[in-house]
Amino acid sequence: MSYEVMVGNKACATGVKLARVKVASAFPITPQTTITEYLSDMYAAGEFDFDFVNVEGELTSQVVVQAATAVGARSFTCTSGPGLLYMHHPMQETASKRLPLVMAVVHRGVKGMQPDHSDLMSQQWQGWIHMYVENAQEILDTCVMAYKIAEDKRIRLPVAFGYDGYVLSYTAEPVEIPAQEEIDKFLPPYKPMPSILPGEADPATFARGFGDADPQKPWKIHHEAALMAETVIKEVFADWAKRFGRSYGNGMIEPYRIDDAEAVITAMGTIAGSAMSAVDKLRADGKKVGLVKIRSFLPFPRTDFREIAKKIGAFGIIDRSCQPGMGGPTWHQMRSTLYDQPGPQILGFYAGLGGKEVRVDDIVKIGEKTLKAARGEKVEPLVDWV
Amino acid sequence: MIEIRLHGRGGQGAVTASRILATAAYEEGKYSQAIPMYGTERRGAPLVAYVRIDEKRVRERELVHTPDYSLCMDTLLGMQQAVADNVKPGGVVLLNTPKNPEESELAGNIKIATVDATSIALETLGRPITNTAILGAFVKVTGVLKVESINKAILKYYPGRVGEMNIAAVKKSYELVKGPVQAKNKEAPQVKADLYVDGYGVLKDVSSWRVFTPKIDESKCTGCKTCWIFCPENALEWGEDKKPHMVSRVCKGCGLCANECPVKAIEMVRVEI
Repeated sequence: MSYEVMVGNKACATGVKLARVKVASAFPITPQTTITEYLSDMYAAGEFDFDFVNVEGELTSQVVVQAATAVGARSFTCTSGPGLLYMHHPMQETASKRLPLVMAVVHRGVKGMQPDHSDLMSQQWQGWIHMYVENAQEILDTCVMAYKIAEDKRIRLPVAFGYDGYVLSYTAEPVEIPAQEEIDKFLPPYKPMPSILPGEADPATFARGFGDADPQKPWKIHHEAALMAETVIKEVFADWAKRFGRSYGNGMIEPYRIDDAEAVITAMGTIAGSAMSAVDKLRADGKKVGLVKIRSFLPFPRTDFREIAKKIGAFGIIDRSCQPGMGGPTWHQMRSTLYDQPGPQILGFYAGLGGKEVRVDDIVKIGEKTLKAARGEKVEPLVDWV
Repeated sequence: MIEIRLHGRGGQGAVTASRILATAAYEEGKYSQAIPMYGTERRGAPLVAYVRIDEKRVRERELVHTPDYSLCMDTLLGMQQAVADNVKPGGVVLLNTPKNPEESELAGNIKIATVDATSIALETLGRPITNTAILGAFVKVTGVLKVESINKAILKYYPGRVGEMNIAAVKKSYELVKGPVQAKNKEAPQVKADLYVDGYGVLKDVSSWRVFTPKIDESKCTGCKTCWIFCPENALEWGEDKKPHMVSRVCKGCGLCANECPVKAIEMVRVEI
């Protein structure tokens, strides 16, 4: 094991190297671009041998890594904001063909260059696993683990992990780099499916509905695989914690000081980091507020939240994106998750959209409002813009 | 937790300096974070970077709003009150200037230290890249990190001869720094330049970046809108008189408009300080 003070994008490139990726393809877009620059540096220095395919746009980069994954090469791509939207069409195919590739999404908003989660949130229906990452160490670790999760025979689904552009992609912090031999023991070489030809492929792992009488069946199999991902994610994260001594909750969620909490805030990405400091501040004031960092948005950590909901009075849900006319995606998921059990009030907060800075004191106020609701006081409005 | 703000111009190495500090801190068994404030910075434009050093892993992601220390790598920027803004009471502002700390007009309950980092950089590196030349002075006046850890960090970024040259700059600035002394002025002046903006996604006032500013000769202008089309920053507004008007806050002084004007109605003139 060694260490380096590195930026988020270099941590991502290092994860790609440790995972022994064979093929990468990407089209440059700020703030993602430097990932491929770091990969090129590693190639030039003779540290990492892989094929990089230059393309004319994100749509093609997704198609290139699809093909590479299909014929048996572990593959990687990365993009940001509008680049991800341009990938929309082939992404659906990646998941439907059950190609277990990994993509880093370095969040960039769609109403400007600065980060929010509207890019990855807009891809919810693509059938991928979606993870949200908070710090540079977690980027490296998640990148390696994502391959193990994606390639698991029980799911075989592509994984997209997102982290906030600028705030994390360009911030340097100490990152421990696991030894390659240890990673090799953790992540065996990628084995492609025996056949990709129509008629020969197993519909369970190649869900295109070839020759199947029921055209709805591929959707059913796909949905079940995505739900199964919860089990796989928890197993892989537990294995990682045992081998490398670093854990991120159970992989689905990372709770922070929730054991005796009256109210719980949820957050994703870098906001969750600031929220930990906010919880420390609230606790120092005697206010029993905890935090749950949501790591996996798809599948949503239903089991975990149903348990936590039994013990607390209110949730304060921070969303870094908004579907106009519908609202915050996390807030909606949480309300749907807890609908059929008696439980806490669920407040919503929009924060950090369009890259607006989220300060620790903003989150302290979110915590105080949620605590008020937990104690049965009336709070208005139910959903607010921070 | 120790929080540091670094001011410089694009090309002086403020971002690298922030990473060297973060690396040196980790060498001493501490956790750290180096945050560059990214906007539309380019060579010569004022920019800001931040560093946090703590005993445990730094989790918060907001920018540094009340630093313990402020370092300024550029002599002219160091004359702006903004480099001393929001520094914690009793905090140190370290300036790159040949002057003595007593001569600085910066105001507030702050201490001021000075070092002639530009001369040191020219002597040791042969180029006015002042980032390492200010770090030795920083260690001397604050005692936050050890020179050995700074040197170790420098070698990680610049192995070999370039690293050794930078280490020489650190040594020299450690020896030559003056101060810190209490600032003589208590009240900050009312008028000040906007060197940095607290927050992402906020439109910056970039008027202080301009070395040259476009001057439009309306008698020559034919109203063809070429300048308006080419301006990368929407800094030209189209007036009711069908002529372009510069929006001072947004113009960086890149000179594209003057270059593209088919009738040469725009001239770039040096900004007077």
